[in-house]
Amino acid sequence: MNDKEKMENLIDELKKDLSSKNKEIVGYLEKIEALEQEIMKLQKPIPGEASKVRSKREKPEDIFDPDSASAIIIKDLVKQFDDVTAVNGINLEVKKGELFGLLGPNGAGKTTTINMLVGLLNPTEGTATVGGYDVKRDLSKIKEMIGVCPQEASVYKFLKGRENVELFGNLFEMDKKVLKERADKFFETSGLKEASNRKAKGYSGGMIRQLNLIIALINDPKIVFLDEPTVGMDPRARRNTWNFIGDLKQDDKTIILTTHYIEEAEALCDRVGIIDYGELIALGTPKELMKKHDAKDLEEVFMKITGRRILEGV
Amino acid sequence: MIQRVLALVKMELLKLIREPANLFMNLLFPAILTLVFGLAFGSLGGADPPLFDMMAPGLFAYACIFIIMTVSMSFTDDRENGLLKRINVTPTTSTQFIGSHIITNMLIAVIQLAIVYVLSFIMGYRPNVDVSGVIMAFIFMLFLSLCSVGLGLITATIAKSAGAASGLSFIFILPQMFFGTFIILPEGIRIIAAFLPSYYVTDAITTIFNGGSPFAVGVLMQLGIIALMSVVIVILGIFLFKKYGKV
Repeated sequence: MNDKEKMENLIDELKKDLSSKNKEIVGYLEKIEALEQEIMKLQKPIPGEASKVRSKREKPEDIFDPDSASAIIIKDLVKQFDDVTAVNGINLEVKKGELFGLLGPNGAGKTTTINMLVGLLNPTEGTATVGGYDVKRDLSKIKEMIGVCPQEASVYKFLKGRENVELFGNLFEMDKKVLKERADKFFETSGLKEASNRKAKGYSGGMIRQLNLIIALINDPKIVFLDEPTVGMDPRARRNTWNFIGDLKQDDKTIILTTHYIEEAEALCDRVGIIDYGELIALGTPKELMKKHDAKDLEEVFMKITGRRILEGV
Repeated sequence: MIQRVLALVKMELLKLIREPANLFMNLLFPAILTLVFGLAFGSLGGADPPLFDMMAPGLFAYACIFIIMTVSMSFTDDRENGLLKRINVTPTTSTQFIGSHIITNMLIAVIQLAIVYVLSFIMGYRPNVDVSGVIMAFIFMLFLSLCSVGLGLITATIAKSAGAASGLSFIFILPQMFFGTFIILPEGIRIIAAFLPSYYVTDAITTIFNGGSPFAVGVLMQLGIIALMSVVIVILGIFLFKKYGKV
């Protein structure tokens, strides 16, 4: 055998070897897939799920529509706290007048994302614009056009309900007459009219949360951030708040709602972004997502993607 | 800007009136202290010579020092309840927010001075002072209240809760109370007093209320020192609270 033949034989042997290795790899992959399906059926949290989720997340080119009028644009947004990545490369666009829901378990990164958009946290990487203004450069402009309802009910307990609302209205330098009219309207529609002249110290938890929401809306913001606005409310108060939020949509406001309540997202949101381990893993209207993942509700959508229930947390 | 600051000042004053702990520390405590010392050491209580006449100028500073506690508790309480974050997402700047605290506490200092002055008078203290002297005393008190706001901010930076803030504030309150007000210090200890804002205020008010000129070189020098101290402490307080205060 000459050298040429020797080398050809070697190549043939390597090809055979590669083929057998390929079969072995395919076998392993099939086993992995079968195990993953088993895990999904068990519906239990899986440590280290983020790496699997990462491959399924929405790509920027699927998200951005350059012709649309956008209220919020988020590109590759990252927030790192020491060795914890709370938000990991989120890309998202929210259109003007849209009620957009950020859905995900507790600790998924929803509040961190909101906090970066309203200027309470600086992004580690990436960019975001709110109402056309950059969150890193034009924060003062952004603050003039937004309303924020924080997750924790933040009101001055020693002030009366009306005094709380007036205080925050004055911080937006609202006209006194307009401020009074808007406060009257909100107290009337929220059912807090009687209690508005009482100190917040005596309010029930549900009343405090409603006052929390009124304060967020008093300045007639173009863009409203509602961070888990119905947490801790009884079903009746929650339903009232949904109606209240639904009415805001008629005013053509852009609303970003974070929630871990499936029914809240389904009932209110035009579109939903599902967030898990700091990553956006699904995006679309509730119907689109359910159709795409052949699921009966968003809970099942989340389960099919991550293998966990939303309320189980991260 | 004015609308924002006025709204915050109104809120802080309502906090003073409606929160019993604030009301006690800022207004009732100086009043009770003046009455107790007046009765124990003043001519009304029969003391001869009336030691109260020597103590009274120090009581003005004494009252103002406790602003450190109320400011630190106010900031930590607001931080715990998410109110600092909430204000932070409005167009209010940190300068406007802290400025409103400074204005409120200056107003409180003026009220404290008036309370201590009137009650001391009732207790038999007769300061040898004219209108310009009283105005100068007010100016000293305003600078001391500014120092107290700055020290309150530093305390709020360290403290994790309002309860912790009330305890930690004594780091700044106690040395000023004992080395910078009405307690007569031995020579060796006076070196410590030189670093305390209340010392300069007490010393200047004592001079003015004992008939000294409010525009004497010594008084003006003390005014310069307390003004410089207050600016440095407030800037340091704002810097530390913004950087490490976890708003």
